[in-house]
Order: sequence, then C-alpha cells, then structure tokens
Amino acid sequence: MKKIAIYIAIFRTQLINSMAYPADLFSRSFMMLIFMWVFFQLWQATYLSTGQNVIAGLTLADTLWYLMVAETVLLSKPRLGQEIATQVKDGSVAYLLNKPYNFLLYQLSVSLGESLMRMAVNLVFGGALVWLLVGPPPHPAALPLTLLAILLAWTLDFCIVALIGLLAFVLEDVSAFEWIYSKLVLVLGGVLIPLDFFPEWLRSFALSLPFAYTTYAPARMFIDPSIGNVLPLLGGQLAWLALFALILSFVFARGMRRLAINGG
Amino acid sequence: MIREMRFLLALWKANLLSAMEYRVSFILQVLGMMLNNAAYFVFWFIFFERFESVRGWGLVDMFVLFGIVAASFGLGVFLFGNIRFLADMIAEGRMDYYLSLPRPVLLHSLASRSTISGLGDFIYGLISFALAGQYSPDAVLRFALGVVVGTTVLVAFLTIAQSLAFWIGSASMIAMQASNAIVTFSLYPLTLFDGTAKLILFTILPAAFIGSVPAEFVRAFSWEQLAQMSLAAVGLLALAIWVFQRGLRRYESGSAIQVQV
Repeated sequence: MKKIAIYIAIFRTQLINSMAYPADLFSRSFMMLIFMWVFFQLWQATYLSTGQNVIAGLTLADTLWYLMVAETVLLSKPRLGQEIATQVKDGSVAYLLNKPYNFLLYQLSVSLGESLMRMAVNLVFGGALVWLLVGPPPHPAALPLTLLAILLAWTLDFCIVALIGLLAFVLEDVSAFEWIYSKLVLVLGGVLIPLDFFPEWLRSFALSLPFAYTTYAPARMFIDPSIGNVLPLLGGQLAWLALFALILSFVFARGMRRLAINGG
Repeated sequence: MIREMRFLLALWKANLLSAMEYRVSFILQVLGMMLNNAAYFVFWFIFFERFESVRGWGLVDMFVLFGIVAASFGLGVFLFGNIRFLADMIAEGRMDYYLSLPRPVLLHSLASRSTISGLGDFIYGLISFALAGQYSPDAVLRFALGVVVGTTVLVAFLTIAQSLAFWIGSASMIAMQASNAIVTFSLYPLTLFDGTAKLILFTILPAAFIGSVPAEFVRAFSWEQLAQMSLAAVGLLALAIWVFQRGLRRYESGSAIQVQV
C-alpha cells in the first residue's frame, strides 16, 4: 500500500508541475482547435459529396468525435523515449535506480502525471468545438470507459516507447526507432483517418498490430460503446499491454546488467 | 543588388558546406524528412482509395498541392533557416551582431542558418510534383513559379509573426503556432472552406498563396491567378520588410556583440 502511495505522490507532483505554466498548456490546445476545424471542413465536404449520411458505419458526427479523441490521445502524451534514452546514455539513470522505487513505474507515474492535465485541456477545447460544429457526442455515457481505454492506451504506448528508450543500452542513439514508431502510430493507429475507412485488408492488418490499440481503440470506443465493439478492442489492449509489459521488464532486467557508469 | 546576391550565395554555400561536414547526419536528416512527409501523405492514398474526389480535388491534385507546399517550406527554411528563430534572436539581443555589420540586417540574419531537413522537404516536393505526371515545360515552369511565390509568402508571413518580438518580447510560441497553422491550412484544398474562412486564408493567414492558388495555377494557366500570386508575394514581402524595420527601431539589448559561433 505504501509503495502505491509513492507512485501516487510522484504522479501528483508531475500533475501540479504541468499546471505551473497555464499559457503553455492552453497554447498547445490551439493546434487541437485548428486540426478539428480543418477535419470538420474536409469530412463535411466528403459526406456531402457522397450524398450519404453514413460511411463505413460512421456518421459525420461519429467521425469528428472519433478524431477529437484520437488527436487528444496523441497530442497529450509526453515524449518519454528520448528522455529515457538520454538518462541511459549520460548515466543519470543511476541516480534514479538507487531510489526506493521501481524505475519503470516511476517513469510511468511521471508520464501519466504530465499527460493528464494536457488531456483535460485538449478534451475541453476540442470537445467544445466539435460540439458546436456537429452537436453532442453520440454516446456521452461512454466517457468513463473512454478514459479507462485512454489510460490503457498510454500505458501500452509507455511500454513500447520505454522499450525503445532502453535500446540505448545497446544502440546509444534510438531516435530513428522512436521516429518509425511515431509514424506507424500515425498511419496504422488511425490518428489521421479512422481505420473504418481503410480498405478491408489494411484494416484487418492494422487491427492485428499493437499500434491501433494506442489510439484507435479509445477513440472508437467513445463513438460506439456496444459490447460487440468494446470487447475485442479492450481485449486487444490488455493482451498487447501484457505482452509488452513482460518484454519491457525482461529487457530492463537485462539492461541493468549491462549498465556501466563511469564516475560522475 | 548583385552584391547582395553574391553575399547570399556565399552564405548559403557556407551553410551547406558546414552541414555536409557531418555527412551521415546530413543524409539522415534529408531522408528522414522525406519519409516523414510520405507518412503523412499515406492519409490521402487511403482517403482517395475510398472517395474519388472531394470538391473537385483528386489524388493527382493533392500530389501537386503537397509538391508546392513541401518545396516552398523546404526552400524557405533551408535558405532562410533563422526564420524559425528570429523572435528568440530579437528577445535575447542577438541582433547586435548583424547590426554591427554593413549588410541588410533582415537578409543577413535570416540566411545565416540553414535548416538541413528543409532540403528533404524540398526534394520531397519535387518528387510529389513528378508523381502528378505533369511534365510539359509550361507546367514545370508554373510549378517553379508557384514554389517561388509560396516560399516568398511563407518567409514574409513568418518574418511578420516573428517580428512581433520587437513589441511583445517573447513571441516564439505565437510565431510557432502561426507557422503550424499556415502550413496545416495550406495542405488542404481551398474549396473545402467557406466564405469567411477563405477571406482569412487570403489575408491574415495567407495559406492560400502557399498551397491552393499556386496548385491551381499549375493545373491551368490563368492571368488572374498570376496577378493574385505576384501581388501577394510582392505585397507581403514589402509589408514584412516594413514591419521588421519599424520593429528594429524599438530594438534594444544589453550590448551582446560577441564572436558568432
């Protein structure tokens, strides 16, 4: 119990820290507003030009609310991989390792603490604009479920990004891997366009990979919280999370054995 | 004029040579940016796989639009790399160095740095245009003219945004948002937007002149568009120089003349 209290305290400190610069927090949401407004213009024109109210099972409102959640998930998460890689490279990881907490759980608490406030601001600004443009969300009651799915999505993302960061034990420079991962999330995670609009083969391919569960899953659950939709997505999130958490703890334990600190 | 051109060429040559000192990093930055742009363009492949066109724009038109915007942005940040740092330079008193030399301050300060990834954007822009398959000499000429206009409008607009630092101090965040906004809007067809939005995109956020207007000009020659583009480029450039000069009169620093490294 005491151990959990440590991580809650770290999380809270980061949360308060992220509120210290409200101007920075709000100005980040400016891009969220621009993206949503451009997306609205694009999808409104697209729905009008096809003459259909529903495309691939989604209405215009569904599409916009989907994109709002997907953008929020993406724009609110911290850039952690580079930080872990730097800590490994310059040896400062040593100062965190001898503290009475688990290094990975420490990073996860920091990461969630940093993201939460950003997410709240993005959700409020983005949500307000989308509400004005296309009306209320189709299933407002799905919000708690969506927040849970976002938490799982970020934890899965954390495991993958931390794994890339820890590659620094062997590779020194990991920025290329981080970059490739971010592009895979962008394309196969359904950030720019819902996977529902993909050709069938590409959609099934994307759903069989972990990237969709870091963005697509929470956004899709928000617009369709039916059991048939939620179960496979939530199941996918949990399965990938379990797998990557396992790999991460294994790699971390191996990495610790390789750690060489030269003075300091 | 010829003297200034020679000076600019010497600056660009020095920037390029210093960047190529680290060959691998140079190639990685250029290739990385090209792949980055390609990843974003996957969106349009998927989009047009399902929908044939949107408001008269199809995949080929998007190739041209992306070509113009990427090449303009790339050229802008490669040739005038400090366009993204001008606000910080003003706020931190780093204009002293340029003020003490007998060269035009704005030109010298902007061209003193090259953003290498800009070359990646520029090459990607050319490839994107090539993929559109418009190989007639006049289309290529119109594309080249479109890129010159796009670059001029972008650099002029960013100069104005960054020059706000003369009046409000810390303007780098506003300038960055303005830069993101103008690039985002320029990457979408103008026909998507309604009257008020269009007015904004032709005036205070002139994204239309970096993307849609030159792209349409490449599609078919029109005197009207040529006049619009020329007027926008010359007008905005004059405004940018004027704003910068006015701002420079307010510039003050704690004497930061030092060796530039």
